[in-house]
Amino acid sequence: MLISLNEIKKYVTIPAEVSDSELIQLIGSRLVEVEEVTDLAPKYQGIYVVKVMKAEPIPDTHLNLCEIDAGAHNSEFKQLENGFVQVVCGAPNVHAGMLAVWIAPGAIVPETYGNENFRISTRKLQGYESNGMLAGADELCFDDEHKSIAEIDPKLAQPGDSFAEVFGLNDLIIDVENKSLTHRPDCFGLIGFAREVAGILGVKFQEPEWPELAAAHDLPISIKITDKDLCPRYSCAVFDVPHHERSKYLTPDDIFLAKAGMRSIDPLVDLTNILMLETGQPLHAFDYDKLIAVGGTDKPQIIVRAAADGEELQLLDGKVIKCIPEDILITSNNIPVALAGAMGGKNTEIDASTKRVILESATFSLYHLRKTQMAHAIFSEAITRFTKGQPAGMTWPVLAEAVRRLDVTPLATADDYPGETPETIVKVTVSQINDLLGTDYSVDTIKDTLENVGFKVESGAELIISVPLWRTDIHIPEDIIEEVGRLLGYDNITLELPYGPFKGTEISPMLRLKSKLRSILSDRLAMNELLTYSFVSRSLLEKVGQDPDESYQIVNSISPELQCFRQQIVPSLLDKIRENVKSGHKAFTLYEINQITNRNYGLDADGVPIVKTDLGIVSLSDFYQLKSDLFTALERGLHIDIEYAQLTPGSEAAKQYPYLEPLRSAEIFVENHRIGAFGEVKAAVKRKFKLDSTVSACEISLDDIVNQKQTLSVDVELSKFPSVERDLTLKVTADTPFGRIDTAIHSALDQEALIYSVMPVSIYQPDSESKNLSFHLKFASLDHTLNAEEITAIMDKITVATTQLGAQIV
Amino acid sequence: MSELEKLKSELKTINAEYVKIKDLPPEQRGEFGREMNKKKQKILAAITAAEEALESENIEPLDISAPCAPNQPLPQLKLGSKHPLMTELDRVISIYSDMGFNVIESQQLDDEFHMFDSLNFSKGHPARDGYDTFRTEEGFIPPAHTSTMQHRALKKYRKDLDTIGQIAVVVPGRVFRNEDVDTTHEHTFYQCEGVYVSRDATMGQMFGVLKRFFELYYGQDLKIKTQPGYFPFTEPSAELLIEKPASLGGKGGDWLEMLGCGMIHPNVLEMAGIDPEIYHGFAWGGGIDRLVMLKYGLTDVRYFESGKLDFLEKF
Repeated sequence: MLISLNEIKKYVTIPAEVSDSELIQLIGSRLVEVEEVTDLAPKYQGIYVVKVMKAEPIPDTHLNLCEIDAGAHNSEFKQLENGFVQVVCGAPNVHAGMLAVWIAPGAIVPETYGNENFRISTRKLQGYESNGMLAGADELCFDDEHKSIAEIDPKLAQPGDSFAEVFGLNDLIIDVENKSLTHRPDCFGLIGFAREVAGILGVKFQEPEWPELAAAHDLPISIKITDKDLCPRYSCAVFDVPHHERSKYLTPDDIFLAKAGMRSIDPLVDLTNILMLETGQPLHAFDYDKLIAVGGTDKPQIIVRAAADGEELQLLDGKVIKCIPEDILITSNNIPVALAGAMGGKNTEIDASTKRVILESATFSLYHLRKTQMAHAIFSEAITRFTKGQPAGMTWPVLAEAVRRLDVTPLATADDYPGETPETIVKVTVSQINDLLGTDYSVDTIKDTLENVGFKVESGAELIISVPLWRTDIHIPEDIIEEVGRLLGYDNITLELPYGPFKGTEISPMLRLKSKLRSILSDRLAMNELLTYSFVSRSLLEKVGQDPDESYQIVNSISPELQCFRQQIVPSLLDKIRENVKSGHKAFTLYEINQITNRNYGLDADGVPIVKTDLGIVSLSDFYQLKSDLFTALERGLHIDIEYAQLTPGSEAAKQYPYLEPLRSAEIFVENHRIGAFGEVKAAVKRKFKLDSTVSACEISLDDIVNQKQTLSVDVELSKFPSVERDLTLKVTADTPFGRIDTAIHSALDQEALIYSVMPVSIYQPDSESKNLSFHLKFASLDHTLNAEEITAIMDKITVATTQLGAQIV
Repeated sequence: MSELEKLKSELKTINAEYVKIKDLPPEQRGEFGREMNKKKQKILAAITAAEEALESENIEPLDISAPCAPNQPLPQLKLGSKHPLMTELDRVISIYSDMGFNVIESQQLDDEFHMFDSLNFSKGHPARDGYDTFRTEEGFIPPAHTSTMQHRALKKYRKDLDTIGQIAVVVPGRVFRNEDVDTTHEHTFYQCEGVYVSRDATMGQMFGVLKRFFELYYGQDLKIKTQPGYFPFTEPSAELLIEKPASLGGKGGDWLEMLGCGMIHPNVLEMAGIDPEIYHGFAWGGGIDRLVMLKYGLTDVRYFESGKLDFLEKF
């Protein structure tokens, strides 16, 4: 929303010691977030009101050779002998005697200000020298189309006057963030905004006087609101169409509207818009006779009611809408004539034939209008205000002001106010206020602060506060406390820290696990952590063999790429490999720890989907590298004892990880419970991601291990005696699993009271029949130095254990 | 003869002289032995010094600018990386934890009740639109703010009010908004929520806690200021700004909008089973992405979820 500081100053006298920039800073810190401040002064510098003294057509062109009088400024430019300045002008309406707007040589055309900053110069047109230009309203940013040059009312200005001064353009326009005023319907009008400015400055706001509007019944009209929750109040007045000619001049109203980002349309619409900008109360005008004709009765009644689902109405912009049940309709004896708060109907549009006007001033349920706004995508200045909930108390006074300014005599008036509520009274004590803010404000300070902005405060043991009718947002003591704290400035509150016991803090186990795991994976295993979106496409899920229908579906997703809540992390990571390979990365391992869910997980006790946290890894390496990394991470890093087993094709487990090649993958268990799987990615899946090298992947549920105690005991006993090292190579048949031999060696060593380690060294397979498994053994006794016989005995035990399995010592 | 050789021959001489000790009368032997030892130690020290001097003459200097010695393989360098958002989130958590806040995590799929109802958004209130929420077919919501956890956090820790007289908890998490992505907007981002409740919580304490957090985070004294904000779940509400810290190139006078905050609305406390007549509280929530962008001078928020190693390997 754009707010002109000059307009605010019409309502509030700003103390001399408060500069504009200080004032804006105060507004920013105590009323609303200020997004941008635009200084209009430089935009209109070097632009003057001038009198066209002579305008003669240049033969064979559409141009006129003009002489202009810029008063005292003439001498600053190249003068003709008669003292005037020569300008060539192509506008059809240029004529001698008019007051026009002259952009003098050296000045910037306002329309281009801030963009290309086009600076007018002295140049030749058709051989005639032209000094500067006579400007159209569009070039001055007060209109969107180029029609003619702007003409100025001689009552307003003299030749040579600064254009900016005549029209109050030495002004600062502040653009405020509407969101921070969602709850303040009053601040969507200049009066309300100015009232706040007064409050911030600590001065009492002078409330504007609202005229009386006498009831009139010369013409039939009545109002029936079917539901006060839809429409708390509906007021209207009927009068003969005011025959106000559209002014040929550029008027202060044009400029007032332009400062708020609006445009002049015609006098009646302009007046409704101006009043809306001033008061926050939108108005709408219907053709009275059309309205009666639509209703088809001599007892015209405006009925405000909920729309029926699918009910049709053609709006002013020509579009035919189908209503939703939340829409509110203004009807003439039940025939729709307007979509309440949003737009009038075509059937009651004011046009050249209109004789009598009915002017509506009403307020509607902001909840319903919000639905209307969304359903029909109408984002007008009016509905922006209506969706803040304009106070019902203001419809009649604003209507009265409209009648006064139009200078018309009402032929009929009507006002239905079923939503009238008693004045809101809030009781709060001074200590309640100070206790919540952490301040020490006196009762007088609090009273003055509130009364400056229209509250009535009766002070006693507690403050009894009458809330002004435009403050529909104030209901409870905390609302009052906010007013006091805000108007007096939160920045004036003394800072302190709460005192608390030394009780230690909890960090959720999952957060701790994640943090630890990230250190292991990134710092120890040199993996790269990624974050990818929680939402994926159906096609990504299909590519990896997951059922998209098991995902929660986002109904308003930004794109089909972000439609499904992901079921696992690995698919998102697979999707990131190719791009990184293409940008030159060769061997890498990507991982992500994040939340996933599946509709099959069901809901928790609150009825909210159960989400889990998974670790996903993809690596441009084979099964064994990933296996080594996983064991390092889980056993060495987290001290969790994991078991693993071959993934069986077609098994339930294999279906859970459909992108893994079961014959080259394993499922992982902790205490007999499956926590995930890892292995090489199926060739068919790789093709879909356009990957050709070996890719392995791992998906592990961290929920399954977060609460695991460290299941792997750490053997911290060290021997004081020298350890023995032996290399052992065993020849076995090619189909003997490595694990069988490895387990046998461990079992043999377990029988002795030894500290030992068994490190695999190599697996050498010279042919398809057999393979050699080499180990490096290291063992020591805890209580003595092993002698040669003991060592031989130990090695013999290993030999026996392994030869039983068909191994031969090499 | 070199210096070293001279010393070594001297040592020989002394060792040879040593044997004379047996020819001396016993009462003179002690004196002689001490004398000889002294001489011997002196020469040994001189020999060590001479040897070290000789050694350093022979040391071949390295080309310290080279990545490896000639004819030797390059050292193997394998680096991993942590995502900067996660690293920063850890840092934020650790500061709040040190200040006395418990830490729980937000969840990425929630419902209308936690996202809005429990936070005093009346049904159908236009303020709900400001959050541009995504929705699932079932009406669940990937939360648009970590405040979605306030109700749970208050309930989980309300027992603390009876034992230690306060609730102090922060909730980091991933949140989502249905908005177009550009250099400064992401539909997916991270926030950290904070909640504090006690009998005498004040707005002054809230600003004090938040100022302290940012001072610890940036490692310097900072100025703060506020601007009004509107959140249905806090009353009064404000937005907190900090003066741009020197570590971010701030020279004073530049302000950064960091978070929204306010005194917890009595309805929110009441819905969580906490008596608002007795207890007051404050809450705040701010973005993590912004902290990281400011810290590293990043200009494009889209890098975070891009999965590009070229970007991630820098962290």
